[in-house]
Amino acid sequence: MFYLRLARGYRVPDLGRWLLTALASAVVAAFLLRSLGRAMSEQTGGAVPVVRLVWCLPPLAAVAWFAAVAARAVPAQRPARIAGLTAAGASSGRIRSLIAGEVALACTLGSVLTLLLFLVLRNDIAGPSLAPDLGMGAPLPAAAPVTLLALVPITAGIAAACAVPIAETLPGGRRTSRTGFSSLRIALPIGLAVVGLALELIALRPGAAEDGRPVHLPAGLGTTSVAAFGGWAASALGLALLTGPLLSWTGRLLALGRPTPLRLLAGRGLTAQARRLGAPLAVLTLVVAVVLTTIRYWIGTPDSADALPAVEACLVLGCAAAAVAARLAEVRTDRRDVTDALLRLGTSPRLLFGAVALRTLAVGTTLLVTGGATAALAAAGLR
Amino acid sequence: MSAAPPDNDVLWARGIVKSHHGTPALRGISIGVREGEVLAVTGPRGSGKSTLLGCLSALLPVDKGEVWFNSAPVHTLTRAGRERLRRDRFGFVGSEPHLVPELSARENVALPLLLAGAGNKAAYTAADEWLERLDVGEIARQRPDRLVQSQRQRIAVARALAPLPPVVFADDPTAPLHREAADQVLRILTSASRSHQLTLVLATHDPELVRFADRAVALVDGRLTAPAAPVRRAPAAPGTAGASTVSATRR
Repeated sequence: MFYLRLARGYRVPDLGRWLLTALASAVVAAFLLRSLGRAMSEQTGGAVPVVRLVWCLPPLAAVAWFAAVAARAVPAQRPARIAGLTAAGASSGRIRSLIAGEVALACTLGSVLTLLLFLVLRNDIAGPSLAPDLGMGAPLPAAAPVTLLALVPITAGIAAACAVPIAETLPGGRRTSRTGFSSLRIALPIGLAVVGLALELIALRPGAAEDGRPVHLPAGLGTTSVAAFGGWAASALGLALLTGPLLSWTGRLLALGRPTPLRLLAGRGLTAQARRLGAPLAVLTLVVAVVLTTIRYWIGTPDSADALPAVEACLVLGCAAAAVAARLAEVRTDRRDVTDALLRLGTSPRLLFGAVALRTLAVGTTLLVTGGATAALAAAGLR
Repeated sequence: MSAAPPDNDVLWARGIVKSHHGTPALRGISIGVREGEVLAVTGPRGSGKSTLLGCLSALLPVDKGEVWFNSAPVHTLTRAGRERLRRDRFGFVGSEPHLVPELSARENVALPLLLAGAGNKAAYTAADEWLERLDVGEIARQRPDRLVQSQRQRIAVARALAPLPPVVFADDPTAPLHREAADQVLRILTSASRSHQLTLVLATHDPELVRFADRAVALVDGRLTAPAAPVRRAPAAPGTAGASTVSATRR
């Protein structure tokens, strides 16, 4: 009841976050129930149903990622609500569980809607094309769908609870955010990317076709060698981890020399936010690179496109993009003080807008480089 | 309420009314600020000091009444016009430093000069000079989040003074400071005002600090309670003469 009282104060961004979480978890629930239905109608056992379940993990992870990023942004976006709850005596653990509970509730709603649809369709409404996916004809053990569907709210709720920042106990207390990257944090991704690139080059050398057993890729992407796949994975991970430091360096480059106020504000701002923006942007870039490479392969190779991976890709892409939007909103509300101070100094809004545009351009260029490299390596590995 | 303000008033307001979302903050205030003087606006919390400074410094548009600066109307200016006026003519120190966290101390101080179109070299020279004068020269290259509050507030004071604006507004600038640091900051503000002929409008809730001002007005519930009382200019060592000037203002 208490939660419902809080929900009455919702505005468009809160509602959007709520609906998006519910929708995404509904789609993940559909994937999970489909793998259950398939397992029931085929009854073959072995590794196939397990692999099908494993392929539900990327969308599940995407929903959890979005839930975590969105939950992290809540205290920054609604400072008055958090201050009010704290003043009323709510501990940081209470606030954490409130936000996590909200996410879990949205996920439960989405999952339950999908379960209802699943049960209705199973009731001889679906045509024969859908029958194997719904496990029609086989008795449905009650515990199975409940267990599977509990997975979504639990995962997303735990992810959200872990992500909520511990509130400052003193109102108006400032948390100092670190901006630099340690040398290990920079050396590790560079090493990963270089090793991965070397591995992939070895795998792609002429006459490497006989190396070992080929790896069957999902989503109709054909086969590749172990070395090429491992090399791509390592370099993609390295490039993703390198995104944050690269953004920081881009900011420094922007403010190099004797900067004008525009370059100074844009560059220093980017360096300061690189830590926070790096992770969601890196995930989005990686996902976009993989999806674009897949689409290119599908277009180039007839009869390879597949509907389910396409839906999965849309879901993951949507969650990654929504996570970036949530983080941007968090950064923006966090910097309201700074914007006010700059406006008070008489900075024209045009200059602030120009700084944001310049920063966006710089970020876009950096991401184009890392994403382009990831996509090129993936395309080279596919044969 | 005189029809025409005295010629030496650099800034004057007549009958200004301002409310925040229906809460009245100023209920008809008329005030004149003479060129080169230090004017203290005193009053308890919530008496409308900050709002008055906001209206005078072109930060807030007034609901009713007039504000004039150097015989030019401020209350009719557009948003862009007010921004230009703030950037080119006014300096502002608040009770919070409000520094840009990603810029170093000297970049923060140089920023208003850079925004006004000054050259890089001139801006940074002025910034270094003012930081030196405020005893924070050695931390010029550090970022604000590594500094303690009193250092940050000094940087904010340096930022307001570096462009040498004709009018500096200080809204409870000593709120986050200990007594010693507060005295030093106020001494620097007032001495800068005297040596560079800057007008300083100082809002404070602490009646003790009136000893730094040439003149003081008191504000209660959005109204001026007394006409501007002349205060004797503080001598070089305010510790000895402070008590007598304070008692003079409390008549």
